[in-house]
Amino acid sequence: MSSLRNAVHRRNHKERAQPRSRQRYGLLEKHKDYVLRAKDYHAKQNRLKNMREKAYFRNPDEFYFKMINSKTKEGVHVIERNSAFSGDMIKLLKSQDLNYVKTQRNLGNKKIEKIQNEIHFIDSDLVQNDMEVDEELSKEKNELKQPQHIIFFDSKKEAKKFDPAKYFDTLPELINRKFNRPRIKTLESDIMIPDDEELQILHQNKILKYQDLKARIKRQRQLEKAEQELQTQKNLMGKGRRVKIGVDANGLSIYRWKNDRKK
Amino acid sequence: MDSGRGFGRGGGRGGGRGGGDRGGRGGGRGGFSCIQKRGAAAGGRGTRGGRGDRGRGRGGGRGGRGGKAGVKGGSKVIIEPHRHPGVFVARGKEDLLVTKNLVSGESVYGEKRISVEGPDGTKTEYRVWNPFRSKLAAGILGGVDHIYIAPGKKVLYLGAASGTTVSHVADIVGPEGVVYAVEFSHRSGRDLINVAKKRTNVIPIIEDARHPQKYRMLMNMVDVIFADVAQPDQARIIALNAHHFLKNNGNIVISIKANCIDSTVEAATVFAREVKKLQEERIKPLEQLTLEPYERDHALVIGRYIRAQEDK
Repeated sequence: MSSLRNAVHRRNHKERAQPRSRQRYGLLEKHKDYVLRAKDYHAKQNRLKNMREKAYFRNPDEFYFKMINSKTKEGVHVIERNSAFSGDMIKLLKSQDLNYVKTQRNLGNKKIEKIQNEIHFIDSDLVQNDMEVDEELSKEKNELKQPQHIIFFDSKKEAKKFDPAKYFDTLPELINRKFNRPRIKTLESDIMIPDDEELQILHQNKILKYQDLKARIKRQRQLEKAEQELQTQKNLMGKGRRVKIGVDANGLSIYRWKNDRKK
Repeated sequence: MDSGRGFGRGGGRGGGRGGGDRGGRGGGRGGFSCIQKRGAAAGGRGTRGGRGDRGRGRGGGRGGRGGKAGVKGGSKVIIEPHRHPGVFVARGKEDLLVTKNLVSGESVYGEKRISVEGPDGTKTEYRVWNPFRSKLAAGILGGVDHIYIAPGKKVLYLGAASGTTVSHVADIVGPEGVVYAVEFSHRSGRDLINVAKKRTNVIPIIEDARHPQKYRMLMNMVDVIFADVAQPDQARIIALNAHHFLKNNGNIVISIKANCIDSTVEAATVFAREVKKLQEERIKPLEQLTLEPYERDHALVIGRYIRAQEDK
């Protein structure tokens, strides 16, 4: 009987909608929505009530470690971030950082190599003089070893007579053009120094390139430092007795692990 | 012809990447192994043509054409002859040390090529010589007086590794000259042989340079010995070869890596000691040049071998 009744066409149930005049209140709340809302409200009220009760019945003489470990900062309770993660989790995060730094460093190395392939440091002194040299860079430049050219002579007398232009068989103004000091014979037979105007334009490009390279090398050093530090931190999280044995040139601590027998 | 300026082959963007430098280095760069020169370990792949395009997998749209190597974007290149005959400097957007390519249209280890049109319309191809990979190139850019390697010269090259510098030396000496390239390691020797297949003036010798009598049958007397052996007893090795094959008053160009001789003392001391050793072996030093900024604690020493004193 009932099955027959189900077979008969029945009117579709239509949910009541929010009247247009009350549209500004959003969707019309149904009973099940109200139940959820009320439950949430009462849960919160209960929690507050419990806390008030707890505070009311508090024993002022009782001691908890949290009293001294946790702090408020300008009235706001701050939890220490690290405590939110387990040691393993931190290790994982650190290793990911380490991998990222490693990747970036590799990429940087490749870029630097590529630029070096392009510029060959020809005329680098000339270019460097034209670059805006800030204090740090000039300090670095002094640290860099300058190439040293020794020419051997049989006697002191010969060495005293040494005249670079004559020795290199070139014009005195070309002596500092290390990358190519053409011989006088070639200078006479060939027109070889290209006109200045064209070189001037190219020169600007070169300066940019050298600046780029310099910045990249600087960044590379920092990345190396970061990688080293991250690796140390990762190692410190591992097992084993260790002693701090000092600080390296970059100011990063160096540790030494005790040799423990692993069974 | 050389002073002519022209347009570099517009390889399109990314053209320069096609050369397949992948794996070309790798090897000994780390710097602890003295025997293996860089590129020795993995160098083989660089020279094989077919794999040249590997580097491009990503960024599909770039550089539509195949692995044509050229300086980017059809930029203007001016070729300036160098102090040393056979060596040139290409000046353009990039300043590059180059040699005239003996085998036109081919790179040896994935290096860039520059094609320049002379005033009479003839095209000449140059290969870029990277001073960061070749000590001889570093010495040239550092400003040595003489390399004694010039067109038509016979050169004995000790420590040839995979033949990257050898290929440039072969370019310099040209078809009239000969390069005897000695390398002990079979692995990099394989690449060296591949270089020699293309350049008929290179004679590869896969032997220990300590035993010159083993390859004496292959050799003639030579004008110059270039040595990049990086062994503690390299002075002895070089002298031995000089006694066997070098003409009287022939020249010697040696690259010294301070770390490989003695890592406990300062580089300058090592160089001085080596020079002293060479003097004892009848090699008169002419000049010495450290290779900064291309290499750290390396020096190029150039000397003259005086077999017999002239009567005065």
